[in-house]
Amino acid sequence: MKAENVFLKIILGAYLAVFFGYLLGPLIVMSITAFNSPSFPKMTPWECLTFEWFDVLANDTRILNGIENSLIVGVGTVFLSVIMGLAAALLLTQIWPKLRATYYTVVIAPILIPGVVLGISTLVFWDRISVMLGMETGGILHNGIFLTILGQSTFIASYCMLVFVARLQRFDTDLTEAALDLGATHVQAFWKILLPFMKPAIGSAAVLAFLASFENYNTTTFTFGKFPTLTIELAQKVRYGINPSISSLAFIIIVLTIIGALAYEVYRRRQQLALANGAPVGAISSGFQLPRIFRRNPAAVILVLLALGGFSTIWFAQTYSPDVCKMDVREQKRLIQEERIKAIQEKRQLEMQQKQQQGTGVLGGSKSDAPAAQSPGQGAFGNVFKPGNLDKTTTEPKADKPAQSPGKGAFGDVFAPNNLDKTPPKED
Amino acid sequence: MNIARFFRNYFTRNGIGLGTFLLVAVLFWVVVLIILPQLSMLDFSFRHHLPPPEMGGPKDTYTLEHYKYLVLGAPGADTSYNVVDLGVFGRTLLAAFFVTILDLVLCYPLAYYLGQSKGGGFIRVLVLLLIIPYWVNEILRAFAFRIIFGDSGLINEMLLAMGLVDSPIDFIRANVALYAGLGYAYILLMIFPIYNVIESLDRNQIEAARDMGAPWWRIHWRVVIPYAKPGISSGCTMVFMLTAGALAAPQILGGPSSLWFTQIIYQWFNQGGNWPRGAAFAIVLLVTCIIIVLSTMRLFKVRIGDIGK
Repeated sequence: MKAENVFLKIILGAYLAVFFGYLLGPLIVMSITAFNSPSFPKMTPWECLTFEWFDVLANDTRILNGIENSLIVGVGTVFLSVIMGLAAALLLTQIWPKLRATYYTVVIAPILIPGVVLGISTLVFWDRISVMLGMETGGILHNGIFLTILGQSTFIASYCMLVFVARLQRFDTDLTEAALDLGATHVQAFWKILLPFMKPAIGSAAVLAFLASFENYNTTTFTFGKFPTLTIELAQKVRYGINPSISSLAFIIIVLTIIGALAYEVYRRRQQLALANGAPVGAISSGFQLPRIFRRNPAAVILVLLALGGFSTIWFAQTYSPDVCKMDVREQKRLIQEERIKAIQEKRQLEMQQKQQQGTGVLGGSKSDAPAAQSPGQGAFGNVFKPGNLDKTTTEPKADKPAQSPGKGAFGDVFAPNNLDKTPPKED
Repeated sequence: MNIARFFRNYFTRNGIGLGTFLLVAVLFWVVVLIILPQLSMLDFSFRHHLPPPEMGGPKDTYTLEHYKYLVLGAPGADTSYNVVDLGVFGRTLLAAFFVTILDLVLCYPLAYYLGQSKGGGFIRVLVLLLIIPYWVNEILRAFAFRIIFGDSGLINEMLLAMGLVDSPIDFIRANVALYAGLGYAYILLMIFPIYNVIESLDRNQIEAARDMGAPWWRIHWRVVIPYAKPGISSGCTMVFMLTAGALAAPQILGGPSSLWFTQIIYQWFNQGGNWPRGAAFAIVLLVTCIIIVLSTMRLFKVRIGDIGK
């Protein structure tokens, strides 16, 4: 029995490792590439630690412009979908019971409709409307931001509605009844009782809506018009040529996400602590109790460590310069390349010699000069400038090199009369 | 009158101003944003492809041209069916189906583990770790897979370094990267519905089954899975619909020789400039997906109301 338990635990551990490796591995790899110096994002071979991709990102006007458009669209979408979602959730509780199932199906459907279809239908519909109204192209109905907000709100409102419905199920209608009995009007009851109760849900729906809007691609790609959002810009960058500045953006987003998640966790733990101690939340939230929160709250500790790490990294980035390392890498690459060229040259030489030995000399007697011409840097200038040699090796760029630097003291042969006759175009 | 009484009740309950506002907001959403655009797209898909000045003119009649094109191909083509587009369509649905199964198999054990464990710090950390990738942009997630699976990507470099292969394997062309990326993109929409349902399963039921001598697989087959069915089906529905309708991952990770059906729609809209045809293809995608989802739900006896819980 015990052995079986250990076995199960090992399997569970392995499974968790695989699953979270699949889930987090790509993000980790991508984050690491943001700090590697090759201009194509890759993790191996590791060349130099660099922060230059963050500079590249900060100077990328298209990305910055995309972020701005995304923010505008995001705010509009949050506004529209929170209102529509809340209204839809409130109606769901009041609607005629026979209609309720149909109504629910209709408002939940946008989640299941492919985003591509939503984008197309929004585009087509508003295009039709503007044709019907006789508006010229370029009016508000063709405006990318207007269309994107409408297209995204169509399905994001459904998400918001689900959040509100979940909260409404816990609402005690007796509260409203009591308010009405005490003489409040319906509007007052709504503003004073129901809305404050819905406040947390409104907050989380807004966050959810903003995130969904910020990362939406499928719908936006049909509606953005002249206002590409960040996601659109990213997609175009990724499709047509990429560099690690995208990784650095991803790294920033991941770090922000982790901070957000930890902050939420800290907040939740605080509330739990408050409830466990029977104290009101306000008592726990006051400043001087912070140390105790650290003691009981690992998330807060991680958060602070993360912030410290972030600051020290920024400080390090200000002082650190990867130039030396990059020079080294470049030097290394150059050496490797030279080795390769040498190897190729030697190989060719060998091949030539083999051909010669086989005696298939179609080119005649001057062929014997060719091998020497391929290694001209070894002081064999005499041979290089033999007329027959130049004729044969004009396609060989290496052979031209000595000719381009004739001032190295090997003048003897250069000024030989028949040499000039044969090679006038080479000397300029 | 029933309806009149309903509205009178409604307005006394909410007040005139607020009641009107709620009604207007919901009607705007349901009619102007949901129903009318879909109907207008449906209508548009039956029209000829005309330059703007001729729209509404005598030539603007209804036609089945675009649907015919999808099935039969361009008139005068040498095959009697549109092999290319239909092939892509079938492959998209099939691939989406397999990605859904893959996600289900990957997620079910974790959802069960998370749902049945007693909570505690470790579980909280796992749930937090689950949420983080979901907040990272879809494009960036696909991009990460390109870094990993590319020609000079991590896996190829590792294989080369270990001497397992001589030349890089083209994962992109083989669509390995695409399926891995698609499975990754929507995996959380599979795990959370199942997790939510299993969390509410009474542990005593499992204990009872175990006491009566049921082996672990029968406990799952007879107790856990039937109970988790709403969660499983809503997870599968969402993953299937989103995968079949995915655009970003195929554009970034798809091999040069393989297309996703949404990419064809995209091409008709953005490169081909033939909007009615793109709309017709989109309608076909939408209707097919709805039929598949509804029939699966009928098969497993799940209601649409269970989705999104």
